[in-house]
Amino acid sequence: METTGTAPGVHPKPLWSVAPDSDRQAGDAVVSNFVLHWFPAKALKDSLAWRYSLWLGTISAALLLLLTVSGLPLLFLHVPSVERAYGSVKDIEYVVTFGYWIRSVHRFAAHFMVAAVFLHLVRVFLTGAYKNGTGRGQHREWNWVIGVAMLLVTLFLSFTGYLLPWDQLAYWAVTVGTNIASAVPLAGPKIRELLIGGRTIDQPTLIRFSVMHVVLLPGLLGGLFAYHMWRIRKDGGLATADRAAALPARAEVPAGKTKTYTLLGIARGTGPTIRASSVEAPDTTVNSVPDLTRRAAIVTLGTMAFISILSVFVHSPLEEPANALVTPNPAKAPWYFLWLQEIVTDTTIKIGSFTVNGAFIGGVVLPGLLVVLMAAWPWLDRSPAAAAGRWFPQSRRTQNLVFLLIVLAVLVLTFVGTFCRGPYWGLYWPWQAWPELPTRI
Amino acid sequence: MTDKTAKSSGPTRPGDRREFLVRIGIWTGLVALAGQALASLRSLVPNVSYDSPTTVKLGPPSEFPDGMKFLPEERLFVFREGRIFHAISAVCTHLGCTVRAEALSQIETKTVEGSPLRISHRFLCPCHGSRYTGDGENVAGPAPRPLAWYHLSIAADDGQLVVDLAHPVDRSFRLTIA
Repeated sequence: METTGTAPGVHPKPLWSVAPDSDRQAGDAVVSNFVLHWFPAKALKDSLAWRYSLWLGTISAALLLLLTVSGLPLLFLHVPSVERAYGSVKDIEYVVTFGYWIRSVHRFAAHFMVAAVFLHLVRVFLTGAYKNGTGRGQHREWNWVIGVAMLLVTLFLSFTGYLLPWDQLAYWAVTVGTNIASAVPLAGPKIRELLIGGRTIDQPTLIRFSVMHVVLLPGLLGGLFAYHMWRIRKDGGLATADRAAALPARAEVPAGKTKTYTLLGIARGTGPTIRASSVEAPDTTVNSVPDLTRRAAIVTLGTMAFISILSVFVHSPLEEPANALVTPNPAKAPWYFLWLQEIVTDTTIKIGSFTVNGAFIGGVVLPGLLVVLMAAWPWLDRSPAAAAGRWFPQSRRTQNLVFLLIVLAVLVLTFVGTFCRGPYWGLYWPWQAWPELPTRI
Repeated sequence: MTDKTAKSSGPTRPGDRREFLVRIGIWTGLVALAGQALASLRSLVPNVSYDSPTTVKLGPPSEFPDGMKFLPEERLFVFREGRIFHAISAVCTHLGCTVRAEALSQIETKTVEGSPLRISHRFLCPCHGSRYTGDGENVAGPAPRPLAWYHLSIAADDGQLVVDLAHPVDRSFRLTIA
């Protein structure tokens, strides 16, 4: 087909061109394609750099996609009933063809997603990417808040997910998790009752967590994800784009002649203003097709390949069936909650004869404070706009150090919980043998 | 809008009425939405509890050995010293895991709230490492309170031992059978 005769926005190829002939065709490839329409037509080289974003957000999104896809067959196979859930998971593991692989993909993708989303948050903090730059109408601080909410939803998705096999890990995790919820003053016991659908953990609990895991939370995360992406476009791309836009000589552009530039065209009013001269400069930008799409494809397909191959070789564990009569010794949460398990262990405070339960301090107050502080940080960060979109700028050194110390503390507590806790939650070195204890009383 | 402020003290104008009706419409819609949301949420609060009953028959007292017996279903330790019984909960006061009893090498007698008590065990929690003495006193780890003691009685009909799991008692409680 002749490319010269086509109308704007109509791409001559049915899908999109991997190697477009012209800038025009590259732009049309984005605009006319449903999957690509959220990408800008042109992207700054800086924002595509591996070393700037480490592509952690894309990795998280790829894992979310993989989780959705691998969750679908599991949804057909898992029976959310206390009598049959464990058996159905055991069937998935040992009877269903490729069942163990699908379950492993789902489980590994979930574990890596918690890690990827957390690392993405660390990257965004360290580069000050929640800061607004030179653009008008930017609200990166709100995208950061959305991101924090997405981390919480991701954690809650993992929590509700590992309950579904209804094994020992599941049962005692709900016991501890919902008792933390009931440590909230006044409303606590009501919240617990609403979560587990009664006063004891039983069928209503399983069905509640199941519905949250497969409908409510994925829907919520999907909505937040779409808004997260949309905001990036509204904020003029990654924070590093503002730096690139601010760098070239400003004097060349007459005052007032700035374009409101959304890269899909000229927006009305509220889009961020980026000086056209720098963004359009051929040496700083590339066409999204194929430069952005190629990298996005490498990251997405690479993530999927990594998880898929890993899952062929490493099977998922399944503990003994849920037993309300015996608490495992030690009873450990999954690794990403072990730092919390450590905190609730160490925060029971005695003031005179008055004792505050660690469940409240470590399970409610401290994590709550961390989340509120994190969400509010863009408003507390008083560093200049020029610090946005750069790794370790001098003006943000102190806050980056404090943040890294908190991250380090969380990692150390996670390590202690994973490798140094033995029977009765006692401290042991990782190489030290645990004492033999009778399993029956 | 400027003429509105100018005449704000005067009689109601058609514009004000329209604005008022629009507001009523919006608020009615919001209230209706909130009502439906609350109704949906309320449907998730159970009206009937299918939980196991809190008053449980534990069997004839003669079936209990001298010393301690653990009842996993009730998450309860029942102690017997001849004709005297008492019961201590196995639910950790920190976050609700089931504590395990560990026999002491030496049985000691301790005065608890004015009455002597034979201490044969201590209790350890596998979840966060709380430790309790044999009378349920929290001595180490994150547990904020002692283990609960529950009320014991003898069933009037068949003479079985009965525990009331909704009725904590203080640590001087003893049931003496005939």
